[in-house]
Amino acid sequence: MTMMTGKQYRESLRKLKPEVYYMGEKIESVADHPAFIPHVNAAALTYDMAQAPEFEELLTAISHLTGEKINRFTHIHHSHDDLVKKVKMLRALGQQTGSCFQRCVGFDGLNSVYSITYDIDQKMGTDYHKRLVKLLKEIQSKDLMVSGSMTDVKGNRRLSPSQQKDPDLYVHVAEKKKDGIVVRGAKAHITGGVNSHGHLVMPTAAMKAEDADYAVCFYVPVDAPGLVHIFGRQTNDTRKCNCFLDQGNVEYGIVGGEALIVFDNVFVPWEHVFMCGEYEFAYELVERFATAHRQNYGGCKTGLADVLIGATYALAQVQGTDRASHIRDKLVEMAHLTETLYCCSIACSCQGYALPGGSYMADPLLANVTKLNVTRLVYEIARLAQDIAGGILATAPSEMDWKDPKVGKYVEKYLKGVEEVPTETRLRLLRLIEGMTCGTALVESMHGAGSPQAQRIMIERQANLERKKRLAEKLAKIGEQPLLVC
Amino acid sequence: MIQVSKKSRLAKVALKYCGSCNPRVDLRRIARHLAEVAERRGDFQLVPLSEENIDVVVILCGCPRACGNKEEVKARAKRSLVTAGESINRQPVPESDLPLIVERELDKIVSERP
Repeated sequence: MTMMTGKQYRESLRKLKPEVYYMGEKIESVADHPAFIPHVNAAALTYDMAQAPEFEELLTAISHLTGEKINRFTHIHHSHDDLVKKVKMLRALGQQTGSCFQRCVGFDGLNSVYSITYDIDQKMGTDYHKRLVKLLKEIQSKDLMVSGSMTDVKGNRRLSPSQQKDPDLYVHVAEKKKDGIVVRGAKAHITGGVNSHGHLVMPTAAMKAEDADYAVCFYVPVDAPGLVHIFGRQTNDTRKCNCFLDQGNVEYGIVGGEALIVFDNVFVPWEHVFMCGEYEFAYELVERFATAHRQNYGGCKTGLADVLIGATYALAQVQGTDRASHIRDKLVEMAHLTETLYCCSIACSCQGYALPGGSYMADPLLANVTKLNVTRLVYEIARLAQDIAGGILATAPSEMDWKDPKVGKYVEKYLKGVEEVPTETRLRLLRLIEGMTCGTALVESMHGAGSPQAQRIMIERQANLERKKRLAEKLAKIGEQPLLVC
Repeated sequence: MIQVSKKSRLAKVALKYCGSCNPRVDLRRIARHLAEVAERRGDFQLVPLSEENIDVVVILCGCPRACGNKEEVKARAKRSLVTAGESINRQPVPESDLPLIVERELDKIVSERP
């Protein structure tokens, strides 16, 4: 089978029967429900852009397993070039969608599990890597979208998985059988969770010996029995069902579409189990996944920022402020911050290195710096967009009022900017900026790929403070005075 | 106006995009123009890069980094032409003139064919 198109991806979703709930309703077809269509559209673009000659250099790769041309989202990085192309691909996609396209999480999961299963097998004599390679071939040949399911619901954060009163607050092995395992628990905030073909489930944190049942990694198809998806609410999500203009980004939505995924005694055959009790590898898996995922944020978020800068500039023109020097200066600042984030992602990719299994990962320190910067700079970019847009961003009347036979004429008349541009254009730009800077979208920049403290912990581990201290002591003539501090 | 020359066979011209991560010029406009020219002139045809015996590969890059300009791409054809942002073969060209200058440079190469 060859790479899918967006249309084929939508058709493939219609053939699946996942158990999905949203606002108390059981969803019959994810691909056809207005709450999910924008997210499906965004994911579909990862398929369509791979078919476009202009983008195929970034969106496709050659499988190291089969030599076939595959969608890059199913590829295992084998060079610096692969790492850099990943970032460039994410920016190119972000520019087209202005929203999350979801597929990078599973991509990072596959790369992390690929390398960690190799390491586990080397030490423990298991055959996880062989199983993963078999699954990977299937994912590549069928061009499947896989979610990366890592974050557990965690219960009392002071307690480890095995110390929780309710043992199901972290996903764990509930039963081992001859032909597989039974798992129970729940994963939270799973991006693309309802419109993926399957889930790659990974442990969420470092584990100790007593947590061995929680050190579990596996793959399940999205419609496996016992799997329940509860889709999250988003800012203004009812606008998807009763408005058009007020949605802002009608085609691709605000964020990726996150779901709580409940594993109610889900059976997983052994061939899809990639870690089962090897708790000492859980931390390394989490770190590799976190590095891969944090590498991304200077790619996709800069693509989104490109759209936001464009929308803000266009709105300034509509409102007649685009020639004011302070507006130009703020637009330049938005571009400067955007490219700063891009620099971070490119840098951590160029400084990446090979792992024992032959695959490549980004530099962990620089990847964490990238993501930590995203938790700040994206907010500043959004702040500048809101500054330029003005208070009307929060007070504009709805699409229904604009269309109302009685008051519509007032909205049309009093919300007009420069003479030559229709009011509708101003409203459309305002709604796009609103969606990108208010509510759900910004929280994604803060907590997606881990909250800021998680990045700080990893930065501290890798900052090598002791060596920095020795450098200072040498110059201050304190203690030993080697010719060079190494 | 470009003179149409009669050659033994149509020249094979392939296009290769850099990947378009953040292009500074509209590459598709160049490609569209070349497709129109190919149809109008009839002395070259656009073919996929995977084809054999390609005469010219036009490497379309969105910015001066020229990520598409790689030896393995150039090796697919006898001659190559590289656009990178507002330049063609490292010579500055305003974006508005890119399609016509690419056409002119391509014409030179095609007419030099035996």
